[in-house]
Amino acid sequence: MNLPEILSQVELFEGLNRDELENIASICKEQSFRSGDVVTRQGETGDQLFVIWDGLVEVVHEEAPHDPAPRTVVNLGQGQVFGEMALVDYGPRSATIRVISDRATVQAIQRDAFMELCESQTHLGYVVMRNIAADLSFKLRHQHLVGR
Amino acid sequence: MTAVYKVSYVVRGGTHPGAILNEEKRPQVGQRVKLGAQEFEVVEVVDLMPARGDFSFLHVTLQSPKK
Repeated sequence: MNLPEILSQVELFEGLNRDELENIASICKEQSFRSGDVVTRQGETGDQLFVIWDGLVEVVHEEAPHDPAPRTVVNLGQGQVFGEMALVDYGPRSATIRVISDRATVQAIQRDAFMELCESQTHLGYVVMRNIAADLSFKLRHQHLVGR
Repeated sequence: MTAVYKVSYVVRGGTHPGAILNEEKRPQVGQRVKLGAQEFEVVEVVDLMPARGDFSFLHVTLQSPKK
């Protein structure tokens, strides 16, 4: 399976046509990690969005005045996205992402290239932004159900 | 393209934080699921929101398997 075909199985890109998937594939950069590696750290500036290709990561909220111990809030696996908040709101990373499987592979997408694609190809931009909103909604629903 | 099930796994009791994963098959009640190194049993499967394209969105409640 080539990269555009694999991207079609990621919810973030659901609704894109073949040409649009190829355009997204052209700005993806593959990165590999080992167990324990930190991909992003809470509080740091970030300009990349990540799609998990393979492996499992944990999303950790570091200690805060009201929450003195680091806390894993969810694990994310194949096909999931992280880093999207800093990508769209330009704020600091909201959590630390650490690899917990033996290995993990992600596709990293740089903000400038991504925004340029979204602005120059309005259908692609609309679909991906809608899907980012849907993904954030899904994560919120998940959090609402934890500890129910 | 084949169906993709985006699943929100929540573990009842214990300290496991749960997970969000894509699955190729819809999880079934009674089935065993591995989250990392830990294995759990499916006790509930609910459609979390309507399907879109080839994607279905599920919420699955897990518990530690009965011995």
